[in-house]
Order: sequence, then C-alpha cells, then structure tokens
Amino acid sequence: MNIGLPSVQVFILLVFSSVFSLFLNGIRSDGIPLLAKELDVAETIEISVDEPQLLAISLKQALDLYNKGTVFIDAREPEYFNDGHIMGSWNIPFFFELTFKLDSLQGKDSPVVIYCDGKECGSSEDLAYELQGEGFTNLYVFKGGWTEWSQNDHPIGP
Amino acid sequence: MINLNQRSIFALISRIILGVVLIAASIDKILHPEAFAKVIGNYNVLPFGLENFLAIILPILEFVVGCCLIFGIMLDGSAIITAGMMFVFIIALSQAMIRGIDINCGCFKVSAENPGSQVGFRRIIEDIIYLGLSLFILNRGERKWELYPKS
Repeated sequence: MNIGLPSVQVFILLVFSSVFSLFLNGIRSDGIPLLAKELDVAETIEISVDEPQLLAISLKQALDLYNKGTVFIDAREPEYFNDGHIMGSWNIPFFFELTFKLDSLQGKDSPVVIYCDGKECGSSEDLAYELQGEGFTNLYVFKGGWTEWSQNDHPIGP
Repeated sequence: MINLNQRSIFALISRIILGVVLIAASIDKILHPEAFAKVIGNYNVLPFGLENFLAIILPILEFVVGCCLIFGIMLDGSAIITAGMMFVFIIALSQAMIRGIDINCGCFKVSAENPGSQVGFRRIIEDIIYLGLSLFILNRGERKWELYPKS
C-alpha cells in the first residue's frame, strides 16, 4: 500500500476514525446504541398506573383517545400550530409551563397524546421523552401527526 | 501571482485555521453524542436509525482530521475528507433552509444548556470558505512543514 496516495490516506483515516469511535462509544458510560430505536407500537391502549408507558399509536387509536377527551399536545413550532392543528390540542413552547399545566389539570398518570407534523418529524418523540423524564407515565406518540389527521378530515381548528 | 514560498505559508495558515475549527466543532459533539444524534435526526435526511451511527463517528473523524491538518499528517487524505464533510454540511444546511425547517445547526454546540446557533446563511457561507481552504490545501504544491509522509 502506497501511503503517499490520497485515496489510501482517505481509507486509513476513515477506517481508523470509525474503529476508534465505535470502540470509544462501547466503553464510555454514556455511549449510545448504534441505531436509534423506534418506539414500540401500542397494540391496545390500557391506561396503566403501575408501569410507565411511552408508545407509538395509529390514527385509529389516536381518534379513540381523542373521543375520550384525552389531552393532545402539538409539539410543533407555534407558527405551524397557528396555521392549523388538531382541535383542542395544546401548543405550549415553554416546557415548565406545559408540565405545570398538565400536572395541575390531570396529574401525571392520565394519558397524553403528543404529535408533530407527520411520520418524519421527531419533536413529538423528543417531547415525550422529556415528559417521561418529568414522571409522566401514560404517553402516546401519534406518529401520523398533523398530516395524517388533517388528510382524514378529523376535527381541526382553534 | 503568489510565489511558491507564499503559497506554502498560505497552506500552513489554512491548515491551522481548518484544524482549529474542526477540533473546536468536534469537542461538544464528542461530549454529548445523544444530543448530537437528535440534531442530526432533526435534519430529516437520514433514514431512521442511522443518525446514531453518524453521531458516533462524525465527531471523532472531525477531531482526527483536524489534528492531522495541524500536524501535517496524511495531508492529502485529510484535505479530501474535510472537503467532503464541508460539501455534505453545505447540502444539509441548504436543504434545511429551502424546506424551511427551523432547527439547531449542531455545528459547534449541541447540548441542551447551550444549543448554539440556528441554521442560516452565515453557516453556509462559512462552510463554503472552509471548503475553499481544504481545496487549496489539496493543491498546495510544495510539501513543507509536513510530518508524514514526507514526500
């Protein structure tokens, strides 16, 4: 192997960095999994107080919860929310305000549905993990989000 | 026209600038891999799952290449990788701006306490300048002040 060749150097640097970084990730205490894990999909929705839940739900399951009066949280930026959202959903950019309002209204064990734009957005999942960290125990991420909801003519508006 | 000697000095200055920028950009990402994975995920360019893989490897690659640029180790390879990274960053930033997604750049800072700057024109222009510097290093001509390989 001729080390003077640029392609050989690129190869060596890439291999060295990959091996070293994967090794480092393996031994450090805050290493992350190699592939991001998708949320488990809820088969049935059973509100449980014994076991914390954070699950992904379908449009049908979201609609069931919606009809039962479950709180929906819109995790998008306010300007998107103002353009249109699931009727009655909350959009509170300040995390502290959101947790305070949720906790004082219904406690930490009542179900909460969180959504963002659609299948590709990650803010609903991020928010769900943050709420889980605050002790909320029945969290459902509606993956289809605003896109799927509005395409199926379900209640939208202020 | 600049002469060969001036060219070598410019190449050395470019190496140090790029090296320092790459190392500075890598530190916070190396310290917070989980936060960086989220930032990559928000760009919506990778199929789900791969952002973790990139969040593990990219910061170390930046750090290693940054050190190589400063010390003059495998300079051609380092310059090509830097140019490649800058090219990818420019594409990622541009598509985020064109699609109008308002996200944290994740360029230098990724942690929640210090979220750093948003995606914007300034970042894209900076990356274009860095791309230019790395291409200049690749065409530096005379090989001076390099540790390995010597010729």
